Amino acid sequence: MKNIQIESTSQHCERDGLLSRKARRPLQCLYWKMFCWCFAPIWMLAAGLLLLLPMGCKKAQNSGSGGSGEPQLTIGVSFETLQTGFWVASLDAFKAECAKRNIKMIQAIADGDANRQIEQVKNFITRKVDGIVLVPKDAKACIPIIKAANAANIPIVLFNRPPDKSDAKSVAVVADNFALTRETVKYMIGEARKTGKKHKAMVLIGDLGDINAIGRRDGFDAAVKEAPDVVEVVARVPTEWNQEKAQAGVVNAFQANPDISFIFTSSDFLLPSIVSALKATGKYKKVGEPGHVFLGGFDGDATAYQMLKDGYLDATGVQDVYFEVEACLQAILDARAGRPVPETITDAGFVIHQGNLKEKAPRMWGANVKQ
Amino acid sequence: MATVKRLLLSEYFVLFLSVAYFAALAPFTPGLATADNLGNVLATLLPLFIVAMGQTLVLISGGIDLSVTSIIALCSITGAAIMNGDHGWLAGHPLAVPAALAAMLLVGALVGLANGVAVTKLKMPPFIVTLTGMMFFSGLAVWLTQSKNIGNLPAAFNRIGGNTVIAFTITVLLGVVAHLMLTRSLWGRWLYAVGHNARTSLISGVPVHGVVIGAYMASGLLAAVAAVMYTGQTESGSPVLAQRLLLDIVGATVIGGTSLFGGRGKILWTLYGVLFLKLMDNSLNLLDLSHFTIMMVKGAVILFAAVMDTWRTRAPA
Repeated sequence: MKNIQIESTSQHCERDGLLSRKARRPLQCLYWKMFCWCFAPIWMLAAGLLLLLPMGCKKAQNSGSGGSGEPQLTIGVSFETLQTGFWVASLDAFKAECAKRNIKMIQAIADGDANRQIEQVKNFITRKVDGIVLVPKDAKACIPIIKAANAANIPIVLFNRPPDKSDAKSVAVVADNFALTRETVKYMIGEARKTGKKHKAMVLIGDLGDINAIGRRDGFDAAVKEAPDVVEVVARVPTEWNQEKAQAGVVNAFQANPDISFIFTSSDFLLPSIVSALKATGKYKKVGEPGHVFLGGFDGDATAYQMLKDGYLDATGVQDVYFEVEACLQAILDARAGRPVPETITDAGFVIHQGNLKEKAPRMWGANVKQ
Repeated sequence: MATVKRLLLSEYFVLFLSVAYFAALAPFTPGLATADNLGNVLATLLPLFIVAMGQTLVLISGGIDLSVTSIIALCSITGAAIMNGDHGWLAGHPLAVPAALAAMLLVGALVGLANGVAVTKLKMPPFIVTLTGMMFFSGLAVWLTQSKNIGNLPAAFNRIGGNTVIAFTITVLLGVVAHLMLTRSLWGRWLYAVGHNARTSLISGVPVHGVVIGAYMASGLLAAVAAVMYTGQTESGSPVLAQRLLLDIVGATVIGGTSLFGGRGKILWTLYGVLFLKLMDNSLNLLDLSHFTIMMVKGAVILFAAVMDTWRTRAPA
């Protein structure tokens, strides 16, 4: 139907001498060529990748055993996302640790999609991996994944996020969010006490659907409850782990309470929002300077490291990524060897502050990320 | 040149491509040709095919439905809120699962109806109607659940999505009905006519508004069925379910050959498109390529399909 229309339109054009077909052709050709050339790099890249696939794969198949003669183990690592520096640094730590232990690592990123993650882990199972490391999208949707791994008799370890309670068997390696946050805030309170006055405090709370965010909130509350003479919480900003929401919440809190002088964020990745609000009100001062706002965080990312080095951040609770990665791989090896593995392995982490920066920095993952 | 052109324009081109792709990669890709893996591909292909069928109908009508992912999320939490064993409205009731299924389908159809009415009666561009619809219904789903997932769903419900045989049967039935509706019914002919030229169709006596609203409602209903399957696979209702699937849904439909300009498309083509996209996704994963490489390859293939669509539509016969 459409073709008939096109034909008749062009015939009409020719008849009326508006634009002859011969004259139209070169113009069309020119547009077509321009279009093809514009996207040429993409075509070439895609074609190159497709051509290289079999070669890369052959190489992967050939490297099937380790140098010691023992069959090389293969571990599938499935991350829900790579959106923040923490996850990128964790994946890099897995690559390095696997290389050190002569373990072949295959990776899959679910891009925030729980169904895709199920599919990717089933791919691991199809490839008969020897163990699975999972950063689940959420605590509930990972249960069918754990059940699938259980059914295939493959040990599965959850990295940094624990699952909901169920009859599915897994090991979770998680930071002690509560204790580490409490320690960090206690340190900040200790420093604030030295000023001899009472401080108004703001806390940035994460997504309360995330058990890690709840642990950090409770840790903060426990620490400030012990020091009512030093800190009074006047603003609680819900961020849902969203930078824009954090920014708006911080600005609103400063408008309502311009004399806030003590801030804790449940994750370091929200620090830029706080810094921009402090700069806007002229309160971004180094530790020890008059008017310094006490600042603390959690995670230990590259921004936090830079702020510690520059003297603006008082302290942050660092998740020991390297310990967590080592514990994940060790748990898989232990489970394969039939050794008992606890259901939860806790990363105590550590508080890094101006006093111990040099000593602790090599263990801080944010210090090892190239900016 | 003529043979190449004939092959590229053939309606089976994507099917040939899928077969060739599979044959070329199978010897090099560990586990690609195993029964377990093919079962895995099939299980993930089914819900995507169902939601892409709805997209096909809307694209044929000359529109586009970007709200399907939010419909999936909204249906997922609606059903889960009704039937979950913790604090569901009908927790433990024998009619909990049928009631939840009915509510999910109703929500899908209602959102589709709203989209269709806005496009036809208010004469709004489908792109902006369904884009804002996506934002609104995604936000609503997150707000209703306070961004928490709802677990503890009845096993009978989880089996619909989790059991490949049941999911396959439902998909085949829906596929056959959609195919017959398009090829054998008057509504199908009207849909193609409207996609070609809505104004001419209206003058010719086609009830354009009814036909277009029907396409959007069908898309909403099919998205609701896909929501049943996706929710069953994860065994939990999620307000962000399928949030990242939009590119796959539109991409698979366009790769199949359904035109972004309307008036052209078939259910079988969409099946080929979904098959190719899923095969590619699966094989690239098995080849252990990085996430970013997979995204680049998928983006390039979908772009290529869109170029082919433009070529087919503009090229003189």
